[in-house]
Amino acid sequence: MKKVIASALSVAMVAAIAAGCTTPTPTDAPDGTTAAGSDVVETTAGGDGETEATEATSGAVETTIGTGSEVINLWTFTEEVPGMVQYYVNNIDPDFGTKYTVKCTYINGAENYQPAVDAALVAGGDSAPDLYCAEADYILKYTQGDMSRFAATYKSLGIDVDSKISAAEIAQYTVDIGSRDGEVVALGYQATGGAMIYRASIAEEVFGSSEPADIEAIVGAGSGNWDKFWEAAATLKEKGYSVVSGSGDMWNVCKNAGQPWIVDGNLTIAPEREAFLDIAKKLKDEDLSNNAPGWDTAWYNDMMGVGDRGVFCFFGPAWLINYVMVRDGQKAAGEGTFGDWRVCTPPVGFFWGGTWLMAREGTTKAEGVAKIIEWVTLDTSETGLQYLWANDKMGNNAKDTVASAVVMAKSDGSLEFCGGQNIFPTFIAGNSNASGKGMTQYDATINNYFTDAANQYAEGNLDRDAALETFKANVSDNLSF
Amino acid sequence: MRNKKLVNYAKFGYLFSIPFILAFCVFTLYPVIYTFIIGFTDLKGAGNTEWHFLPQVGKNLFVNFKDVLTSGSFQKAFKNTVIIWIMNFIPQIGFALLFTAWFTDRRSKVKGQGIFKILFYMPNIITAATLAILFNVMFGYPKGPVNDILIGVSKFFGVERKAYNFNANEWPVKIIIAFIQFYQWYGHTMVNLIAGVIGISPEVFEAAEIDGANRVQTFFLVTIPCIRQIMLFVLVTSLIGGLNMFDVPQLYIGTNANNAGLTTNMYIRNQAFSGSYLYNRAAAASVILFIVIVVLSSVLFYILRDKDEAKLKKLRKQELRAARKGL
Repeated sequence: MKKVIASALSVAMVAAIAAGCTTPTPTDAPDGTTAAGSDVVETTAGGDGETEATEATSGAVETTIGTGSEVINLWTFTEEVPGMVQYYVNNIDPDFGTKYTVKCTYINGAENYQPAVDAALVAGGDSAPDLYCAEADYILKYTQGDMSRFAATYKSLGIDVDSKISAAEIAQYTVDIGSRDGEVVALGYQATGGAMIYRASIAEEVFGSSEPADIEAIVGAGSGNWDKFWEAAATLKEKGYSVVSGSGDMWNVCKNAGQPWIVDGNLTIAPEREAFLDIAKKLKDEDLSNNAPGWDTAWYNDMMGVGDRGVFCFFGPAWLINYVMVRDGQKAAGEGTFGDWRVCTPPVGFFWGGTWLMAREGTTKAEGVAKIIEWVTLDTSETGLQYLWANDKMGNNAKDTVASAVVMAKSDGSLEFCGGQNIFPTFIAGNSNASGKGMTQYDATINNYFTDAANQYAEGNLDRDAALETFKANVSDNLSF
Repeated sequence: MRNKKLVNYAKFGYLFSIPFILAFCVFTLYPVIYTFIIGFTDLKGAGNTEWHFLPQVGKNLFVNFKDVLTSGSFQKAFKNTVIIWIMNFIPQIGFALLFTAWFTDRRSKVKGQGIFKILFYMPNIITAATLAILFNVMFGYPKGPVNDILIGVSKFFGVERKAYNFNANEWPVKIIIAFIQFYQWYGHTMVNLIAGVIGISPEVFEAAEIDGANRVQTFFLVTIPCIRQIMLFVLVTSLIGGLNMFDVPQLYIGTNANNAGLTTNMYIRNQAFSGSYLYNRAAAASVILFIVIVVLSSVLFYILRDKDEAKLKKLRKQELRAARKGL
C-alpha cells in the first residue's frame, strides 16, 4: 500500500514538472484575455497616499490582447491602458490584433510598480517593456530624470509630434512634463486640472443655494487663499457637517504648487506646501473634517454620504468623479449621492494626477507602439481615444477631461452624476493651473515624508518645528539632499 | 586475493557537491563580496554600474560608514529593531517554553496535542504580507474593527469615546509589530523546543522523579539544561531573524508614524530604492548590520558553550603537551 502511494506521489510530481514546461501558444486568447492569479488586498497603508490606488498586490497581473506573432510588452499600473488597447483591437483596428500580441503587465501601487518597471527597463531583452506608463507623481523620473534615457522620442517612432500637437491643441503642461531636452518622449491623454466638487443638498441647507456661482463667492474661489473657505467651514461645522473628508484632500491642492522640492540640489520647502502643516493641524484641532485618509474605507463612505458626518466637498479632477466617486452603491439615479454633486472653481487652483505613455528606446515594435500612442494621445477624430474617453463611448460610464482642447471643445460634459451640470468648462479652467514646474522625480518619496510629518504635527505627537526637522532629516538621510 | 570491495567512494561526494558549490559561489558568495566592496565606493544612481573607490575621487575610504553611523534614521532604525525584537522575543520564548512544558510533561497527557500543535504552528504559514496588511486595516483610523469595538464597548458603559489613531503613534505601532512577529513565530519555536525535549533520555527524568523533584524543578533544573543545543539554535536564529526584520514592519507601516516601525533592513532598502539609489550607503549599512549580527551571535555561542567539555579539552591539551615534553 505504501509503495502504491509513494509511486503515485512521484508520478504526480514528475507530471507537474512536465506540465510547467509547455510553452503557451498565442491562440490561447483569441480576442479575450487570460489573467494570471494574484492576490489584491485593500490597504490603507497609513498616511495620505497620493498615488491613484494604494492597494497592494502580491504580484503582477498579466493579460494578453491580440493573436499576432510580434509581441509588444505593455507595463502599467492600472487597467485603464490595457482596456484602451482592448477597445482598439476590438473596434478600431482588428488587423492590429492579428499582427501583434500585446502582453500587459499590470502592477498596482507606485512603490511596487516603479522598482519593477525600472528593473525591467535596465535588464532589457525580450521581456523589457516596449510601451510603459507613468503617473504624475513620478513621471519626471522617466522623462527628465534618472530613467529618462530609456524613453524613445515620439519623433523616432515616426510620429509627427510638432504638427499633431498643435493641431490637437494638447495642454501645454502635458507636453512640458513629457519633454526631454525639448523632444517629446511622453504624452498624457488626460488633462487633470482640479475643481471643487461639492454636495448640492448640503449647500442648499447650510448656505441657502447650490448654484456654482454662489458657492464660488462663499468659499472665495480663485482667490488663491483659504480665508473665506475657513469661514465657510466654521458655518458648516455649526450645522453638523465636515467641510472635507480628511487633510489628504487638501494636500492634493497644495502638493504641486510653487517651487519644486529640490532646487539646485538642495531641499527647499515652498510656502504653499509648508502651509499644509497648519491646514492639517487646523482640520484636526477644530474638528472640521472626518479625519479619513485618502483611498480608505472611511473616505469612500464620505463620498457615498454614509460617513460619520456629512462631508461638504472634495477636491479633484474629472477622474475623481468618474472613476472614484461613481462607485458601486451609487452608479445609478436614486442610489447614494448620485446626482447630488456640482463642480465649481476651487479657492486655490491645482492639478492632480494623470498618466503618460512612453516607448522604450530601441524597441523593435516601433510601428505598432506608435500606432497605439498616436491613437491614445494625438488622435482628435471621433474614433480617437480622447473623443471616446470624453464622451463616455468606451462603456465605462465616465466622461473624463482629456488633453486635447480640440476634442474638449466638441465634447459634451453634462454628467448625470452631477445633476446634469456640464462639468467640462470648470475643469478646462482648472487646467490653467497645471504645470510641471513644481515637480521633481523624487516627489513620491518626499511627499510621503512630508505628509507623515504633517500628520504627526496634527496628531500632536510633534510640534511644528520638530515636524519640519524630522522631515528634513528623513529627506537628507534617505535621498541625500 | 585482491579485495575488490575496497573502492574509494570519497570522490563521488566531491562530484555531487560541485553543483551546489558552483551555484553558491555565483549567486551567494560573489554578490556578498561585491556588496562588501561597493561599501567603499561611490556607486549610486539607477542602473549604474560604474564605480570608483572613494580615495580615487578624493574622499575618505570610510565616508559611507561614517554617514550611515551618524545618520539619525539609522540610529533610530537600530534602536527600533532592538526594542521590537526584545518585545517580540520574550513572550515568544516564554509561551514556547510554557507549551513545551505542558506538552512534554511525563505525568499528565494533554488531550488533542496534535491539533494544538497544528493550530499553534499555523500562524507561521500565513505570509507575513497578509498579516501585516490585515493588522493595518484592523487598526484603521477613523474606521476600523478595533476602533469600532472600542467605541462600541465604551458606549455600552456610557462613555463617549473617539477613535484612536493606532497607526500614527509610536508605541502602539511598535507593540503591534512585536505582536505580529510573536504571533507568527511562537509556534515554530515551540515545535523546535519540543523536538529537543523529546531527544532527552527518559532515564534522566526517572532519576529526577526518584530524587523527588516536582514539575517546576524538573523543568528548570533538568529539561532546560539538557536542551542547551536546541536553545542555542533557537536563540541564534531568532536573533538573526529579529535583527533582519523587514517584511512585517514594511508592509504594516512603512516609514509612516515618524519612523516608529523603521528597522535596519528597511533603512537599507530605503537607501537603495527610495529615489536616490544610494547603493554605496546601503552596502555600508549592510556591512555594519552583518558585523553586529556576527558579534552578537558569537556572544551567544560563548555564553551557551558547554563549559565541562571546554575544560576537558583544555586538560587533554595540557596532558598532550606534558607527554610530549616528557618524551
